[in-house]
Amino acid sequence: MGREGLSPRAFVARVIVAIIFGALALRLGYIQLVDDRYNELSDNNYLRNVVIYPPRGEIYDRNGELLAQNRLCYDVSIVRKDMPKYGFDTTRVSELVGMSREALIKKIRQSPYRRESRLTRYPISVEQKLLLDEMNIGGFYTSQRTVRQYPRKIGGNLLGSINEVSKAQIERDDSYSSGDYIGMEGLELAYESVLRGEKGIVLQDIYAPQAERNTILKMPVAGKSIVCTIDAELQQLAEELMQDKVGAVVAIEPSTGEILTMVSAPTFNPDELVIGRERGNNYAREIKNPRMPLWNRAVKSRYPPGSTFKVVTGLIGMQEGVLRPHYQYSCNKGYHLGGEHIGCHEHPSPLGLHYAIATSCNAYFCYVFRNILENKREYAIAKDGFEAWRDYVLSFGFGRKLDSDFLSEGAGYVPTREFYDKRYRKSWNALTLLSLSIGQGELGCTPLQMANLAAIVANRGYYYIPHIVREIEGQDSLDTRFYQKQFTKVDAKHFDAVVEGMWRGVNRDGTCQGAYLKGLDVCGKTGTAQNSKGKDHSTFISFAPRNNPKIAIAVYVEHGGWGAEMAVPIASLIEEKYLTDTIKRPHLVEYVKGHKIAYPMYK
Amino acid sequence: MEYRHEKKESLFGNVDWVALLLYLLLVSVGVAAVLSASWVEDSENIFAFSHNYIKQIVWLGISLVVGTVLMLLDRSLWHKIAYFLYGTAILALVATLLFGRTVNGAKAWFEFGPIRLQTMEFAKIAIALATARLMSEYGFAISSFRSLVKVALLLLVPLAITYLQNDTGSGLVLCSFIFMLYREGLNRWLCIPIIFIAALFLLSFLFSPTVLLVALILVFTISEMFANRNWRNSVIYLAALFGGSTAIFLVLGTIPALSISYYSILLATTLLSMIGVCVYAYRARLRNIYIMVLLFVVSVMITPTSNALFNVMKPHQQNRIKTFLGITDDPSLNYNVRQSKIAIGSGGLFGKGYLQGSHIRYGLVPEKHTDFIFCTIGEEFGFVGSILVLTLIIALILRLMHMGDNQREAFGRVYCYIVASILLFHTLINVGMTIGLIPVMGIPLPFISYGGSSLLAFSIMVFIAFAFDAQTTRELPTYSKF
Repeated sequence: MGREGLSPRAFVARVIVAIIFGALALRLGYIQLVDDRYNELSDNNYLRNVVIYPPRGEIYDRNGELLAQNRLCYDVSIVRKDMPKYGFDTTRVSELVGMSREALIKKIRQSPYRRESRLTRYPISVEQKLLLDEMNIGGFYTSQRTVRQYPRKIGGNLLGSINEVSKAQIERDDSYSSGDYIGMEGLELAYESVLRGEKGIVLQDIYAPQAERNTILKMPVAGKSIVCTIDAELQQLAEELMQDKVGAVVAIEPSTGEILTMVSAPTFNPDELVIGRERGNNYAREIKNPRMPLWNRAVKSRYPPGSTFKVVTGLIGMQEGVLRPHYQYSCNKGYHLGGEHIGCHEHPSPLGLHYAIATSCNAYFCYVFRNILENKREYAIAKDGFEAWRDYVLSFGFGRKLDSDFLSEGAGYVPTREFYDKRYRKSWNALTLLSLSIGQGELGCTPLQMANLAAIVANRGYYYIPHIVREIEGQDSLDTRFYQKQFTKVDAKHFDAVVEGMWRGVNRDGTCQGAYLKGLDVCGKTGTAQNSKGKDHSTFISFAPRNNPKIAIAVYVEHGGWGAEMAVPIASLIEEKYLTDTIKRPHLVEYVKGHKIAYPMYK
Repeated sequence: MEYRHEKKESLFGNVDWVALLLYLLLVSVGVAAVLSASWVEDSENIFAFSHNYIKQIVWLGISLVVGTVLMLLDRSLWHKIAYFLYGTAILALVATLLFGRTVNGAKAWFEFGPIRLQTMEFAKIAIALATARLMSEYGFAISSFRSLVKVALLLLVPLAITYLQNDTGSGLVLCSFIFMLYREGLNRWLCIPIIFIAALFLLSFLFSPTVLLVALILVFTISEMFANRNWRNSVIYLAALFGGSTAIFLVLGTIPALSISYYSILLATTLLSMIGVCVYAYRARLRNIYIMVLLFVVSVMITPTSNALFNVMKPHQQNRIKTFLGITDDPSLNYNVRQSKIAIGSGGLFGKGYLQGSHIRYGLVPEKHTDFIFCTIGEEFGFVGSILVLTLIIALILRLMHMGDNQREAFGRVYCYIVASILLFHTLINVGMTIGLIPVMGIPLPFISYGGSSLLAFSIMVFIAFAFDAQTTRELPTYSKF
């Protein structure tokens, strides 16, 4: 083989080498110069987005006392790749992260090799985190979170709780992602958008997490704190008074619509539902409790208002012109007409409006109710009269949501004409509905609506929408709806007669003399709502002082007996506490607290 | 055969300085790349012996000393001891298989204290020498079947042992000898079918048998058209074949009990038609058709048996092929290639700069200093650097082929071409695998990958070739001297 020319085979061999070189070079050129994809993938390979969770906004009471604050804790995540090959003290780690050793080992085995994954469902405490850091094991990472802590341990249903966001919630709102916390119920839910803050994102170099190379893509924004309208001491007193009873207490400042106290009894300790290992068990226990502590009775339950509703009947009568305060009706232990019979208790007869309210005469309001519906000058038939009556009732905030800032607020129930047409096959008249006049029958009111009624009477004809939040950090004002007077369809001039009757009920010879407070001019109306399940419900609406009222309150104790028996002392103590800031009747407090009501129906 | 060599006064006067320079450049790039791949920023003592690149430098020193000694040995020595070396190599391979150490699943390593050697790296030299000697023996003829069987046997023994060692990747290097065989004059009708069947083997995983059969029929008929320029007959044949089998399918398809697929009818019809084709070829005296028919029948047989062949492979090999063909996209299987492609792809035109490659720094590329060393070059020096390194290797390969062509007898020529073939195969497979062109096989990039035994073995291999070249006169042989 000479040098002067290649053999054909040697030439083809060189061509093959050239083709191989060309193929490699083309492919290299393609992935290095043409295809941009790899640059991006390259960054994703060693940079990761680390979420920085903002602290949730704190909640203060109206006097600046903390109701819900934040506690620092840590989420633990692992990267199996970075774990020591020779193993580590799994017993100690499992103690620190609060898992069994077997569960820990299983979790690590199942975790992805290179990707970071969350180790525990619940965050660990600062102490545990420091001890874990001290062990200095590779592959364990912690990130800051905050969970709630409740210094006073009051207002469970009022404040609501926080839980990890569910899949369904993420689907509904894509600003949430797995592992985020979200408010459940109460204030936490209603003001979730204010309290949650904004998550920050830091672009972190996986291999140098502490280095200055980290770029902050988005600063976290802390949640805004909220000053709510609750008076913590009043709330605590009310919760104590309601212990071992089922029912609700709502107190409103009539001049603003601010809710001073809202108790749904039985209540629960909000600390029990803080995100953590115990939450699941506690939640299950509360949900299984037949008395339903997680059901916010104060805004959701439909109770028959009982005699407290007579106030409304009287007011409608006066506005309709069928009742003057001096009109007298006789009561012969009740109201008897045809087949209808509504009983009443023993009291002097005949009697006028003031005394009828003070002694809670059933017959009197039956007459008034009939006169409203059977007002021939205005309405052709009683059914038209009923519709007019219904419009009045709705203007008092019954039968509809008050549009407060409780998202889970119930509407209560005021029956409609169609409802009775259906039930009685169109043959009904004022006598058929007579029990409505005294707040029985199909009527259903939430305790919030009842407290609102007390506020309406206190204000002589209007109310502000009850609300729970007073101030939001960084906002000058609340929603404008909370600043607008909501007028009822009853003129202010008619209210004086009712107020007089409610004043007499407490201060003269009425049903609720137990609510008397010296010099405070308390006005009130008791209610004793009959029900099919057991003992009567005990209820009481009240406001004080008579002029320039500071507090309007509704107390509802299920199966508490007479209105004066349970509801009156509770309301009275709350008013005393709020208005005078002391309690001069500690024996009464002890008596009410110690009074246990048996609830055979909640079994 | 006895040769008289016209030695010049100085041995080093005849050394191919270009090739030597290429070699030195490549090993320097190798040390630099290993340094980068194993660089730890806050290392306390960068000259500690435990560092990979220091070890690599030590091995480079050893390689250069050994290389110089080899240059001084007379070339006839290699011819004499070729078979002895081959026998020793086979014994060493068997010994490794029995007593060796398992690294990455392959029982292919021997350990002497701190030094680990991969037996096959050195066995390759012996195999190359033995093949060269066999092919330069008197009476060896590349066109003779008996001679080819001898070569095949020589290669199959070590290949079988590497398969047992679970190190088929290293063994497959021997397949590259076909490049040398082609140069030596192997019948091209033997070369093409081997490559064709290998391709078909891969394709049979990707396409359904029917598609493949139709494609085969078309490919063969069309190449027949080009070979014999008989367009009409080919078109008639195709029309008759497809029309006939479709008609049979439609007729038989009406009988539900038979439930025959179109594939089986087409297959049967085609195979039967081969008899007709052979009769036609005999009459028309077109001998190339016989080869076509044979190849076609073999191809058709391979398609269904490829699965059986596939099952002979080890699971990890199956996975690599499946991943490469895109049949599975299990991220844990193609992680290496994905990361390596990302590292190289992110290099761009000029790369991220020496010691700046984030993928290499963070250990995102597995085996970054051994089999995937090319990622370091691709990421840190970009397209320009990669092409430059590739050019260096290819230039060395071409230089070795040039040396081979300049050899005056078969022994030296075959040896040089074998070295070129091995380097070419390693480069193609290694670089091809890092850029996703070829399924993953664990073989190093010559002179650059970290690994003492690999560096030393490749150095010995090329230095023997350099010595052959240096000891050959450049003048035309003067036959009168015999």
